[in-house]
Amino acid sequence: MKRRELLHGLALLGLAGSWPMGALGAGNAGGAVSVDELPALEGELTLYLGRGEGGLYEDVIEAIRKRNPKLRLNIRRGPTVALANTLVAEAEAGAQQADLFWAVDSGSLGMVSQAGLAKPVREAARSHLREEFRYKDWAPVSGRVRTLPYNTERLSREQIPESIMALPDTDLNVGWAPAYGSFQSFVTAMRLLEGEAATRDWLRGMKARTRQYAGELGVVMGVSRGEVDIGLANHYYTLRLKAGQPDAPLDLAFTRNDAGSLLNASGVMALRDTDLAHNFIRYLLTQEVQSYLASEAYEIPMVTGVALPAGLPEAASANPPSIELTRLADVRPTLTLMRDAGVL
Amino acid sequence: MRKHTLAPLTVMALTLLLAAIPITALASGEIGGHVDDLKAHLGEYESEVKGFNEKVDGLVESYAGKGDGSVNTAKLIEWWEDVKFHAAVEVNYVPVYASIWQGIYGVKEAIDEGKPVAEVRKQQRALEQAMWKGMGAVMLASKNQADGGTSGGEDSEKVSGSKAVDRILTNLDEVTIEYAENESEEATEIIHNTYLNLFEGIEGALIEQDAELVEDLEKDFNVGLPKLIENGASVSEVTDYVKTMEKKLNRAQKLLEKGEQNKKDVF
Repeated sequence: MKRRELLHGLALLGLAGSWPMGALGAGNAGGAVSVDELPALEGELTLYLGRGEGGLYEDVIEAIRKRNPKLRLNIRRGPTVALANTLVAEAEAGAQQADLFWAVDSGSLGMVSQAGLAKPVREAARSHLREEFRYKDWAPVSGRVRTLPYNTERLSREQIPESIMALPDTDLNVGWAPAYGSFQSFVTAMRLLEGEAATRDWLRGMKARTRQYAGELGVVMGVSRGEVDIGLANHYYTLRLKAGQPDAPLDLAFTRNDAGSLLNASGVMALRDTDLAHNFIRYLLTQEVQSYLASEAYEIPMVTGVALPAGLPEAASANPPSIELTRLADVRPTLTLMRDAGVL
Repeated sequence: MRKHTLAPLTVMALTLLLAAIPITALASGEIGGHVDDLKAHLGEYESEVKGFNEKVDGLVESYAGKGDGSVNTAKLIEWWEDVKFHAAVEVNYVPVYASIWQGIYGVKEAIDEGKPVAEVRKQQRALEQAMWKGMGAVMLASKNQADGGTSGGEDSEKVSGSKAVDRILTNLDEVTIEYAENESEEATEIIHNTYLNLFEGIEGALIEQDAELVEDLEKDFNVGLPKLIENGASVSEVTDYVKTMEKKLNRAQKLLEKGEQNKKDVF
């Protein structure tokens, strides 16, 4: 039996969640709380919000504001990395202003955490997170998983290797976008999991069989048009494209326990240990907010009891690698490696 | 290169101030304290606009009468950088500021390439219009400044959905300005940051409606426009490319506005 068939069988038996790295699908241990169960937010709160998710985070914030008229929420917006630097600089100058930091990439959260600015996530929020995403300093809000979109008219899922490291040894034509940030996080994960030498060999091996695209939507569209057999891209591009073009010959495959199925997340951290800051985090982890981000942004919920985005296949609940996401901030050696291998 | 004075940018925050443009993204030139009190300098700005237009007219007259060997078109840039009005427009209304630079290069390139006088005059008219439009923007900004303005700034400005497209369009204007001023590196940085911080935020909502449009813009941001700059294309080529992108972005904005009407509630 192939690994994917085994997984599918386990999923049908309801056992997939018992795999060591845990499933992403909606579980119910602990269960997400409804916003109706949370205390009203009252008082002044300053949030530093990293840009990147368009209007959807803004929609969530507006909804929280409307629901809590006594909350005076100040927001400072900017590129995530710039805000992380600002937070550290303000703290060093003894002029900290922020109560919360909501970032689109976990690397920036790691930087602030390393500076000793984060307050531990309280159990009231932490207990609702999926077990594998219960970090000390920050709470993941929504996730995105690396995938292998493939053209269903050109190959079947069984022809796709289960290991990302095996991809260069196949005869598949692959689409990728090496300049794209998520791709570089994926290579960073590979470097941390497999080592520099293996990652360099992988990049060199792949170079011969890849076609380069300007971005990961381009990769997925290239797969759909049959320009390449398979691609490397975040999951939501395929889901969104399929939502608009249901007949597109596209499906998603996943590797197992390696960088090819990396799950990265946006996240929030408290910078002041106040009830208000911690309760704001709880609002972001409610059933309602998590469902909204899953249905509108196709993001993967980080709490139990919330359904995966529509169209995300069962195999997505397979096995992301075990990696401390904040380590993905260390992208400089990755870029050097990619340049060495001639892919940047 | 002359450096900017940052303080005025932080205190003005006028209605028309495009505050989220990175300081490094603004064009070269001393800003000066006069922008803190625009109203007191309106007369001076107006004289500068008239004087600048007269100088340009003299240069075009000379070209018309004696041919391209008779004029030094580098003077156009020198005259523009010398006027205080330059900074007043720069910090208040970037789209017009971009049009002025495009107008200057329109006249300059037409003369340098030996184009017919009629073509040069056409470019001159566009430049004059942009200058007066800039004067109008500064007058409006002076009124807002005198009224106390607002205390907003980049750190409090919400940019999402269709409004993000407005910001992208402004940033693309900045790209043409930087490129016209030989600041290729800064122009490329603006393109990169705009893609990363603004376009990536809206592409998701657009994919379901028009994936080809998003893919096309993805190529423009990541390959087309940066490559043109890297390869040293002419200012007008870069400007034309940006104009094509703007048309696509206008379509994207309409799609986003349509999508915003159908959004579901969070709670």
